[in-house]
Amino acid sequence: MNGEAKMAGVLTTRGIRIHTRRRTMRGYVLDGFLLLLSFLMLAPFLWMISTSLRLPQDSFSLPPAIFPTAFNVENYGQVFKQVPFTNFILNSLEISLIIVVGHIFISSMAAFAFARITFPGRNLIFIIFLAGLMIPGQVTIIPQFILISKLGLVDTHWALILPALINPLGIFMIRQMMMTISSTYDEAAYMDGASRMWVFLRVILPMVFPAVAVTSVMTFIGNWNDFFRPLIFLNTFEKMTLPLGMTVLNGTFGSGNLSAILAGVTLSLIVPLLFYMFGQKYLVEGITAGGLKI
Amino acid sequence: MTKKSKDLLVGYLFLAPALLLFLVFIAEPVIASLILSFTKYNVITPSKFIGLDNFKAFFEDDRLGLVYWNTLKFVLILTPLHVVLGLLLALAVQRKIAKGLKYFYRTVFYFPVLATSAAVATAWSFMFNKEFGILNYFLSLFGIEGIPWMQSPNWVYLAVAIYSFWKFIGNAFLYYFIGLQNIPETLYEAAEIDGAGKLQRFMNITLPMLSPMLFFVLVTTLIGTTQIFDEPYLITGGGPGDASRSVNMYIYEIAFQKHQMGYASTVSISLFLAILAITALQFGFSKKWVSYDQE
Repeated sequence: MNGEAKMAGVLTTRGIRIHTRRRTMRGYVLDGFLLLLSFLMLAPFLWMISTSLRLPQDSFSLPPAIFPTAFNVENYGQVFKQVPFTNFILNSLEISLIIVVGHIFISSMAAFAFARITFPGRNLIFIIFLAGLMIPGQVTIIPQFILISKLGLVDTHWALILPALINPLGIFMIRQMMMTISSTYDEAAYMDGASRMWVFLRVILPMVFPAVAVTSVMTFIGNWNDFFRPLIFLNTFEKMTLPLGMTVLNGTFGSGNLSAILAGVTLSLIVPLLFYMFGQKYLVEGITAGGLKI
Repeated sequence: MTKKSKDLLVGYLFLAPALLLFLVFIAEPVIASLILSFTKYNVITPSKFIGLDNFKAFFEDDRLGLVYWNTLKFVLILTPLHVVLGLLLALAVQRKIAKGLKYFYRTVFYFPVLATSAAVATAWSFMFNKEFGILNYFLSLFGIEGIPWMQSPNWVYLAVAIYSFWKFIGNAFLYYFIGLQNIPETLYEAAEIDGAGKLQRFMNITLPMLSPMLFFVLVTTLIGTTQIFDEPYLITGGGPGDASRSVNMYIYEIAFQKHQMGYASTVSISLFLAILAITALQFGFSKKWVSYDQE
């Protein structure tokens, strides 16, 4: 906050005071603009929620609602009655959470090997992993699909979980942070007879918490929102994730009841909202600490 | 056991799960993609080696030029949109305003990034409807009537740009916002004492200090938009006709609707090479303007 005060030119010399006054004028314009933009950003959400409460026969009628004009909660009931919406949400949660936990465990173990243990082949493997960062999803998806179908895992959650457990970006981010820790920490622990696993879990891992947190948050967001892979791998309604389930919901109500679709959309915002409330702090801390140097 | 051989064993034990998954789900698929591109394969009947036929088909494919051109349009529209507007927004919020207001803006701009993509995209596809869409309704209040968002090959790009801004601008915004907060205030104080003006301070302090974040946003946006799929698939359906069909949508169509795994691999490799070239170019160019030595 101090820095901004300085930037705004709150200093005692005369010239800068004039500067500050002019900036305030423009500041009002910017404030007005930001408030207007915020309203425009929020308006779609308001419309989604308001329309989700309309009677089905009014759902398409104009003028559109920005603020609720009716409270037909029945649309929400329809969402659960017509499609397995509870399954969609629980499947998405289950898949995203398993991926986050597995991915963090596997990535931080690999990062520990890369950052804290010296062994032949280490640097070569690290470079190969980094090269893996460059490989876009659509190059690997076709062979992955063939592999998954040969393993008989199509239309199972494993088809989504297994390939998502490996992401070189996570390994890279955690490794970068581990590299900044002084080696005296491990050495002291080894001196006391600690094992590698103990040093990893009790000494190093807690020290790279910001990197682990930001990787978790990003992994969760990425997999929660993933649409492409579920589209390819899942067919059974009951097994679908929320993003894919939205297309089912759209197909079920698309021509008749927009309100029911928007009730589903509104429900889909609950987990992201909770996640924002609890996760955004770690996201900001992690990006700050990591510095994202690529 | 000596310390060296013990380190070797322990090192590979720690690495084992990641290495195994990497080999199975990244390394092997890359090699398999290369091999597949020389074959005809529909998953059910055994694959057949067909030499360069897929590559011949690649150069004779009428739709390919169009989907590449569409993807290039997405890249050219969406990259500056996020890289520049994200920065302007971050600069506007990173002023001397109340802390609560800052948190409010951050939440409003960032929350759509988290909002379940397919769900909000579905909602937006109704908002863009020509007859009963909320957008055209509000525009009509200003005398702008019946914009064919989904029916015109040009408007469809503006529709995707508007959605993309709403959904993802918070991403670039957040990176810049954090980057700006991490610039040491002493730099500005020193510059101010030296009599540097506002523009000078921006050009000589803000931009160089922010360059790693700028570079990160630029590279990730470029790579992301080159692979664009969700937005056209969910909002425009690739239409009208093929007017907004991206390369990735086309690959999806060949591989998973027509089951031509071989030819789909050929197209995906071409997109991979394009992404590789863009990224290499960016990294080569970055040495001229990105400065990492700021501590």
